Amino acid sequence: MVFDGSDYVVRFENVGLRYGLGPEVLQDVSFSLAPASYHFLVGPSGAGKSSLLRLMYLAMKPSRGLISLFGRNMATTPREELPGLRRRIGVVFQDYRLLNHLSAFDNVALPLRVAGGRERDIQKHVEELLSWVGLGDHMNASLPTLSGGQQQRVSIARAVITKPQLLLADEPTGNVDDRIALRLMHLFEELNKLGTTIITATHNESLVKRLGHPCLRLDNGRLLSDQSDGSADGAPPSRRRRRKGKGDDQSGLSRRTEVG
Amino acid sequence: MISRRTDLPLDGDVLAGFLPWLIAFMVFLAVVAAAGMFILHDATANWSAGLTHTLTVQVPPTKGDKALPAAEDPRVLDALKVLRTTTGIIRADIVPQTKVLELLEPWLGQGGATEDLPLPYLIDAEADPDANFDMATLRSRLTKAHPKISVDNHRDWLDRLVGLIDAVEWIARGVLLLIGLATVGTVVFTTRTGLSVHRETIEVLHLIGARDDYVAKQFAWRALTLGLRGGVIGLALAVPTVLAIGYLASGIEAGLLPDASLGAIQWISLALIPILAAAIATLTARITVTRTLASML
Repeated sequence: MVFDGSDYVVRFENVGLRYGLGPEVLQDVSFSLAPASYHFLVGPSGAGKSSLLRLMYLAMKPSRGLISLFGRNMATTPREELPGLRRRIGVVFQDYRLLNHLSAFDNVALPLRVAGGRERDIQKHVEELLSWVGLGDHMNASLPTLSGGQQQRVSIARAVITKPQLLLADEPTGNVDDRIALRLMHLFEELNKLGTTIITATHNESLVKRLGHPCLRLDNGRLLSDQSDGSADGAPPSRRRRRKGKGDDQSGLSRRTEVG
Repeated sequence: MISRRTDLPLDGDVLAGFLPWLIAFMVFLAVVAAAGMFILHDATANWSAGLTHTLTVQVPPTKGDKALPAAEDPRVLDALKVLRTTTGIIRADIVPQTKVLELLEPWLGQGGATEDLPLPYLIDAEADPDANFDMATLRSRLTKAHPKISVDNHRDWLDRLVGLIDAVEWIARGVLLLIGLATVGTVVFTTRTGLSVHRETIEVLHLIGARDDYVAKQFAWRALTLGLRGGVIGLALAVPTVLAIGYLASGIEAGLLPDASLGAIQWISLALIPILAAAIATLTARITVTRTLASML
């Protein structure tokens, strides 16, 4: 089969991942995400959700299989082109991965500064976003003085400040109350409406049900069929879009999971 | 090349306090070595210029009471005649015995040399620098006049001295090179340690789209500021040392030691050493970071 991920934001083809000489934590994972789709990534602890996200935000290379992001085959993309691709991806890390020596403002400003943004624009955008996530009074606070929930909101603000084309969130609402969780999910919804492809790893089943987006379900390193998603035929979004209205696929997801 | 942005908490590193003192030490050694090199180089030039065109003719003293004043000794008069008729010799004068005694004073002490001491007669001659005069012919003519007359154009002595000074100069250059290599090694070590300490932060920067260059510039800026700080400390310690050596050397009257004072250009060259050290540190840090990060995903 000829590998062609050009119509997808993300495409995995028989991807396997192992750490060192250990067992495979991901096995034969194949799926595609269409532009502006929104998915939850669910599964029990240790199922491989974080590993799958790590592959998507280019922190690791797969042990086997092919990954395509924004139509680029990662196996043949030179290293010097990776920063450009990473700037199109926003990541909410499970452990936040904020820089503790910087203020909340500087943490959120970081992706814009890395991309060479103008300081005047950065100031405006970061202040707006931090206010929106309820941290308007904590802009210059040093990170260790913020609570876990506040740090999580800083982490989310940092991930979305550049309005990325792909947003990967690993348990983004794990440390916030339901009201804030819903508010943050609405922020994600807004981004999604603006064209951002979103994938959110979560244990929060009530949130999944409430928002009703399709799920990628991982179990023991394998991607399982998901009833919320309708068909999974691997067809590119152009074909799928033509099928819409016939009840074939409402999710933007195509999946070829080989259950062994 | 460098960036003042400090997303990485580099100033808080233990190494940030250690590097300036190491560079200060390197710069101190480099400035002293370079100053020594300049002084020796000047000394060689001065000695060469002062002695290349002079000749000393020595007539051995006569034994017993038959010693005549130099101006009346027939051998001295013969030697003078030979010198004054040699093409290329522009001046030939008898060195007064009082002057000869003065020259011996540093070795024999005041009053140590008396008129009773059998002293050779000396004739000081000067050759025209532009004339291509033949030393071998002159020596042969003088020994023909009197076999025990000797002539010294200081060349052999000067050649040996210049050879020695050249060797010392090369050693000083070697020391400078080693200091440079040690500086590079130190910066490579501290930079790699810094990269290791801040690996997680660098990974986050990478994941949000930072290029290696973005990180390398911050390390380069840190190396520049620490290098300059260390360089200035090193220079501040080295200058009084060089001046003290010059002062101590000037107090010695033997006249054998070279003049230990430096010219304006040489002082400027020494002042550039801290800047050079900072530049080496900056470039080294940048290259080290770029090469190390190239192995990361």
